[in-house]
Amino acid sequence: MIRRDFKANSSPRESRLLAKDVVEYLSAFIADGEALHDIDIMLTEACANVVRHAYGGKAGKLEVRLIVSPGEWVELQVVDWGPGFVDGVRFENPGPDSEGGRGMFIISRLSNSCEVRQEAGENIIFIHKDMGKSQWKS
Amino acid sequence: MLERKDAVLLAKLTGEVTLDITNDVKRTLNEELGSGVEKLVMDLSNVDFMDSSGIGLLVSVNTRMRSGGKFFYLYNPSPQVEKTLNLVQLFSFFEILSGEDELQAAMV
Repeated sequence: MIRRDFKANSSPRESRLLAKDVVEYLSAFIADGEALHDIDIMLTEACANVVRHAYGGKAGKLEVRLIVSPGEWVELQVVDWGPGFVDGVRFENPGPDSEGGRGMFIISRLSNSCEVRQEAGENIIFIHKDMGKSQWKS
Repeated sequence: MLERKDAVLLAKLTGEVTLDITNDVKRTLNEELGSGVEKLVMDLSNVDFMDSSGIGLLVSVNTRMRSGGKFFYLYNPSPQVEKTLNLVQLFSFFEILSGEDELQAAMV
């Protein structure tokens, strides 16, 4: 099992760079470009949620905790320390004319499981992605 | 990058379309759209990453154009853009132009 934490400020620029850093790190283990792109989208959406909602529009602490079981699965934990939005989380796809509210839906579509929890003052988006043997580097 | 030909505006987006740039792009487009644009074509052929903020940008522009009786087209969405739009079941929501012939026809 491999664990690694990545930290940034929750500005739009830094949160995107954080997601790219995680994907770059994962590319040492994962061969499938499509799977890496899916992980990139999920992470970018989860981090953008923190940017938009965690600290009332201001920047605050953002952390990605990566856990990899090589050959099997990837877990991403996207963490913030804001007031929390557990009750407001929506996983449904909004109507076509809606300008927002699709981030968690996209994550739920691309992951095997996804949930939001508040634990010990932390708001955590848990994302679990199973991957087949052929998607990993040998 | 914007190209204006009479009442037609061609907007070429490149690279990543994420929260980092969408507000700036929307502001730039809104300024231009207020000056008599009847048709907007957004070239997405060189966009290699788009998140839900990018989708929100497309929906916002589409709503503005359609509500004013004007036209909005996506030109040659890259495979990455097509995938993201399909994920949220919006690919068929937009009018898509494919290939140079369709682009030239739309530019008049």
